[in-house]
Amino acid sequence: MAEINAVTAINQALLEMMQVDPRVVLLGEDVGPNGGVFRVSEGLWQQFGDQRVMDTPLAESGIVGSAIGMAIGGLRPIAEIQFMGFLYPALNQIFSHLGRVGQRSAGKFRVPLVVRIPYGGGIRAPEQHADSAEAMLVHTPGLKVVVPSTPYDAKGLLYAAVEDPDPVIFLEPIKLYRLGRMEVPSGRVSVPIGPARVARGGRDVTVVTWGAMNHLAMEAANELAQSSISVEIIDLRTLKPMDTKTIAESVQKTGRAVVLHEAPRTAGLGGEVVASIQDEAFWWLKTPVRRVTAYDVPYPPFAWEDWYMPTKERLVRAIQQALAD
Amino acid sequence: MAQMTFLEAIRETLRQELARDERIIVYGEDVGVRGGVFRVTEGLQAEFGEERVIDSPLAEAAIIGTAIGASVNGLRPIPEIQFADFIFPAMNQIIQEAARMRYRSNNDFEVPIVIRAPFGGGVRGGIYHSQSIEAFFAHVPGMKVVIPSTPYDAKGLLAQSIEDPDPVLFLEHKGLYRSIRGEVPEERYLLPLGKADLKREGKDVTLITYGLMTQLALKAADSLAEEGIQVDVLDLRTIRPFDKEAIFASVKKTGKVLIIHEDNRTGGFGGEISAVIAEEMLFDLDAPIMRLTGPDVPAMGFSPPLEHAFMISAEKIVEEARKLAKF
Repeated sequence: MAEINAVTAINQALLEMMQVDPRVVLLGEDVGPNGGVFRVSEGLWQQFGDQRVMDTPLAESGIVGSAIGMAIGGLRPIAEIQFMGFLYPALNQIFSHLGRVGQRSAGKFRVPLVVRIPYGGGIRAPEQHADSAEAMLVHTPGLKVVVPSTPYDAKGLLYAAVEDPDPVIFLEPIKLYRLGRMEVPSGRVSVPIGPARVARGGRDVTVVTWGAMNHLAMEAANELAQSSISVEIIDLRTLKPMDTKTIAESVQKTGRAVVLHEAPRTAGLGGEVVASIQDEAFWWLKTPVRRVTAYDVPYPPFAWEDWYMPTKERLVRAIQQALAD
Repeated sequence: MAQMTFLEAIRETLRQELARDERIIVYGEDVGVRGGVFRVTEGLQAEFGEERVIDSPLAEAAIIGTAIGASVNGLRPIPEIQFADFIFPAMNQIIQEAARMRYRSNNDFEVPIVIRAPFGGGVRGGIYHSQSIEAFFAHVPGMKVVIPSTPYDAKGLLAQSIEDPDPVLFLEHKGLYRSIRGEVPEERYLLPLGKADLKREGKDVTLITYGLMTQLALKAADSLAEEGIQVDVLDLRTIRPFDKEAIFASVKKTGKVLIIHEDNRTGGFGGEISAVIAEEMLFDLDAPIMRLTGPDVPAMGFSPPLEHAFMISAEKIVEEARKLAKF
């Protein structure tokens, strides 16, 4: 079986689904002849033509709005927002319409739309190209939000997202696009929306994270293993609906938890994770849950990026504190 | 001292501020001739003229975008978003421009605007006129978010928001506009942003909330007192920044916390409050931190039973607080 990176895995999934299902169409900025800024849709326009792979104007509200209409009308559109920092002009379409059409029409209309969004920092991008706005999307009723962190999960979750009868936001960590390769079968890969993945088993402390931060967690866990500290890493994979059961089971085992994300801290999704641990594992906690996050400032110019993003050192320190209390 | 409704307190503050500082302009959909859909700005255009109380097109991105430009050039705009549910077309302007201007320009520019927005349900507003939106903005670096619960607080917090050199989102719960009256001094006064107010003191359970829910919590506190359960009602008043010291002081005393908001549960601001308590106060807790919130469905049905099911009530607060008191 071929070892491929996340870009190739997503590209393969798009290609295969478009071959099987004529209702699947792509639209977005530069997704056509250019193949997307990250080459995720490379070759698809050449194969399927401009009726199924559509270059749009630079108008995110128009991209999502017209894709909602296509989905209601029977297509299975996959819209791309080029960078998450460009998402905000489309938020009215996403919050007020995408998340609500199903409920507003009492189920008469469903919106099987997938919005793909490359997101996150750590790639020396300029301002507005490194945002992590997942908390806003998770807070919006009617949306599912997934974040794969491996090529296999990227392919499987994209299949699940396109097959879902309701809207799914599909976040693609930019930093992971080409960071690792793994075996991914050709054809349909099944990774359901919802269940988290225990990315590494451990017994002393639980790290809950998602997206590119998984790799940081793994590095920290490897380092701590040398001092016989055993770290369990939960990769949420789906942020909404969140698999609080897997989080709680892990915390009930370890009694200690650290939540790691690269968005700013205040009102980030880490708060929700900590609150869910309060709900479901409070009596098992031996020490306070800690959060390791970016700081409460706008995403900085890239020269300062390394001071803004969570680092292995900060995570290791938080884990050691969780163990020391 | 004059008794005023919540709505009158905001109107009188706007009038006082417009008279005090000619850089202040009020601006939004129907705020001029009509006096606002809720009559908050009634009479202001007649008194201060069309140059200072301005009817805008129905274009929220443009309302906020032009307010940003005006503020960078020295004015003190108070734009209104007619219903908080309509703010989303303006989110790019708010998040990417207003909130980041000071940081991006390395302090060369500032954006002293106050965005007023009526929010919340329980007034038969249906699905596009009932939403709570505070959690989205509580997550945005560079923003402040203010949510008063009494006429007195509304005046002092609005005046302080206008004084603030950075963008402030000032959220007015529609359910408070005419339901609450209170004493409001005539002279100008400022209440600091980031300071909570302990609206009622107890010892058994801490209720943490803001906006209309504060009034419901106070009502619940009366019923709970009859059962012998004494509660702290801590009104955050601003949620970004929010007053961690006041939260910790109350939790230290009671050891039991109920966080209340009308906004959807998942990813709501209650998670942040819960998290800071869990991080800093775990060993002072006698029970898990509880949240009483709106459900994870769009806010909210027009049908009265659906609306009632969505909304928080004093009865629901009493029920949850009782569970906590038993621990």
